[in-house]
Amino acid sequence: MAILGRGAFARWGRILAAGLWWLLLPAAVAQPIAREYQVKAVFLFNFTQFVEWPAAAFPAPNAPLIIGIMGDDPIGPFLEEAIRDEKAGDHPLELRRFQRGEPVDCHVFYLNRSETNRLGPMLDGLGGKPVLTVSDADFAARRGAMIRFLNENNRIRLRINLEAARRSNLTISSKLLRSAEIVKDTR
Amino acid sequence: MLHPMHILPHPMRRLTFIRTFKLTLALIGTLLWVHPVRGQAPIRNAEVKSLKQLTLDELMDIEVTSVSKRPEKLFEAASAIEVITHDDIRRSGASSIPEALRLAPNLAVAQKGSHSWGISARGFNTDLANKLLVLMDGRAVYTPLYSGVFWERQDYLLADLDRIEVVSGPGGTLWGANAVNGVINIISRSARDTQGLYAEAGGGSELNGFGGARYGGKLAPDVYFRVYGKYADRDGGTLTNGTAAHDAWNFGQGGFRLDAFTASQDVLTLQGDIYDSDLEVPTGGVSHQSGHNLLGRWSRELTNGSFALKVYYDRTHLDAATAAFIANGLLLAPAGRLTDDLDTYDIDFQHTVRAGERHQLIWGLGYRFTHDEVGNSPAVGFLPPVLKQRLYSGFLQDEVKLADDVIFTAGAKIEHNDYTGVEWEPGIRLRWNIDERQMMWSAISRAVRMPSRIDRDITQGTPPYFVLLAGGKDFRSETVTAYELGYRTQLDSRVTVSLSAFYNDYAYIRSTSINPVTIFPLFFTNNVEGETYGLEMSFIYQAASWWRLQGGYNRLEEDLRVRPGGSDFNNALNETADPRNQVSLRSVMDLPHNWELDVAWRWVDELTINNAGVPALVPAYSELDVRLGWNPTPTLELSVIGRNLLHAHHVEYGIPTPIREQIDRSVYGKVTWRF
Repeated sequence: MAILGRGAFARWGRILAAGLWWLLLPAAVAQPIAREYQVKAVFLFNFTQFVEWPAAAFPAPNAPLIIGIMGDDPIGPFLEEAIRDEKAGDHPLELRRFQRGEPVDCHVFYLNRSETNRLGPMLDGLGGKPVLTVSDADFAARRGAMIRFLNENNRIRLRINLEAARRSNLTISSKLLRSAEIVKDTR
Repeated sequence: MLHPMHILPHPMRRLTFIRTFKLTLALIGTLLWVHPVRGQAPIRNAEVKSLKQLTLDELMDIEVTSVSKRPEKLFEAASAIEVITHDDIRRSGASSIPEALRLAPNLAVAQKGSHSWGISARGFNTDLANKLLVLMDGRAVYTPLYSGVFWERQDYLLADLDRIEVVSGPGGTLWGANAVNGVINIISRSARDTQGLYAEAGGGSELNGFGGARYGGKLAPDVYFRVYGKYADRDGGTLTNGTAAHDAWNFGQGGFRLDAFTASQDVLTLQGDIYDSDLEVPTGGVSHQSGHNLLGRWSRELTNGSFALKVYYDRTHLDAATAAFIANGLLLAPAGRLTDDLDTYDIDFQHTVRAGERHQLIWGLGYRFTHDEVGNSPAVGFLPPVLKQRLYSGFLQDEVKLADDVIFTAGAKIEHNDYTGVEWEPGIRLRWNIDERQMMWSAISRAVRMPSRIDRDITQGTPPYFVLLAGGKDFRSETVTAYELGYRTQLDSRVTVSLSAFYNDYAYIRSTSINPVTIFPLFFTNNVEGETYGLEMSFIYQAASWWRLQGGYNRLEEDLRVRPGGSDFNNALNETADPRNQVSLRSVMDLPHNWELDVAWRWVDELTINNAGVPALVPAYSELDVRLGWNPTPTLELSVIGRNLLHAHHVEYGIPTPIREQIDRSVYGKVTWRF
């Protein structure tokens, strides 16, 4: 039908109205679809619970454990929420935003995939320091980042470069390793 | 479709465009209105709290919606770019790529009939709109027949699209051929991100019925594939006199994509599509279009850069019903069929390399071979019927970091085509990251539209029939020099505003001249020149965690004229048909109980269209699209979509005759499953 008649439109209108009425009914239980950054922020929080840093990484036994991100990373607000009033052992968790080019001094550093071209220099600069490097850039783990977020089929997977973590004297708990895929450097 | 009827002669009448350049004023006003807000409190987010209760394995089982590439991408790009995300497309309920493109505030989309669209940026949106470069996964889809796009044959399973990037303004330096007024880059998802079974089906009015399915799997660790198919049956529109336009059509497409990731940091992609379509033509008869393509891409990350090699083959077939050619009641040529078979072979290579601390170089080489074979109809044809063309191109661009927050880019593309020889498209850009939330950019660039077959080879009336219009043997490339200024700000994590102003200086735009001795045939020349200028504004406002508002406003002034000493039968009216103002507003709401309500409203100003050398009007219109969606379970989605709800029929394009086509209101339902 090329021309949608008045009657047909009224019919669709009724269907639409019926649809709106359904809004008022109790919800069917459904798993909500989360946004990527929220989930990644919670992963980052979890890493602080499943990774052990050498004592020398902290100036004092109750010094904060610092999670670093690049200044304007959109994960910031979610990460702030995820670590609010949380501790790793005796270390209160703290978020720090670093400017581009500024030396990164922290315990966990997350690099957004939009900053992929900074990954190489970043990792070179951190070489051997006890910083857990996390990124969602392609091949991040194979390039020497310790943990990579891999988005597979709209779910977050982890790839862990165990050797890179060992080189920096970080111990990753088997609980975390169990859920991840272990990869090696390729460069 | 070709509509050469609008190229008919008419007594000279010059249009004088009244221009009041209020842009600067508007720009200042807008800047005042959107003054930055500082020290905004972090968003409290209950979602994060509940996610923290999950175990690692549960967390990995949570389905995530992909991050919009908008904020990051926008802040990086020193051009007027808008990104339509996967989620934007889903929430719009769009059933075709042209419908999805209405989401880009910097584009003008005019639907001319049920299977005919004009899509352009910054003006020149006629039947034969020809100033955009349109790519699907890197495959150029504008046709060398007229440098425009047969939109009705560009399709994909929309659920598998990752995003559509729309750049307004010339992109000649990096993108090359035909990126005069803009670039549309349609990007499908990696097979890695489309695993499992997906199916959709639905129907209603105008979109009578449709269905589509995809299956994605893993062949080996890090080797993913998908196959898909889709089909839609669509109704025709209505003519202004109330009768049916008889332009119903159907479209079926299938395809695959394979992505392999290797340990040596390679990504290998192989993909292909095949489609077939039957389309009723309002002037009578049925047209047929079909085609297939195959594309391979190899890209590798290097320690100091990356490279990509792309090869593709594309075949398109058109078998169009052409109407009889009648002038003043005299039959000049009978109805017939025009066929066009185009084979395209393309290879290109691109290498990005960081040189020292401050420089990033990108260079590339490309080669394209086309074999075009036309079967001429009595009313319209192309001579010679068979044409082989080669296009060679090379480009080099250097991105220099002048200071920490200032990046200067200079580059040029050189192309060689068979019609006009060497063309060059240089450009410079400057980007200033004022602070973390603000960016300003500016650019000067030159771009060309090389002649297409219509400019050089068309014959409206194929000999021995009477020839009214012929291609111009000396038709040269149209050129533009564009001056652009842009500003983008993220006021806080909830508001992003983008502004860009442009001034385009065009030369050698297409015109129609008279044969000085015989009058007929008329032939194409390059006698139109002039300026266009305007403003593009867009914003995204996350009003609440469950409610997003976004919108845009475009202002376009066009001042085209016949160059001194030249002439144009169409009085410089034939290449433009553009609204001066265009406003769009969209609301995206997540309601309780997994309901979604999406409303999109647009207002398009009246546009002046060439009616045989006299300006005619398409009236201003506003329209409304609404989608109501419900996800009763994570795998099932039900939605009802209403398009163009405000009027039973409305006109978006065409000269005012009783047979101008109207676009009908449409309502359809849709069910999608994911397994």
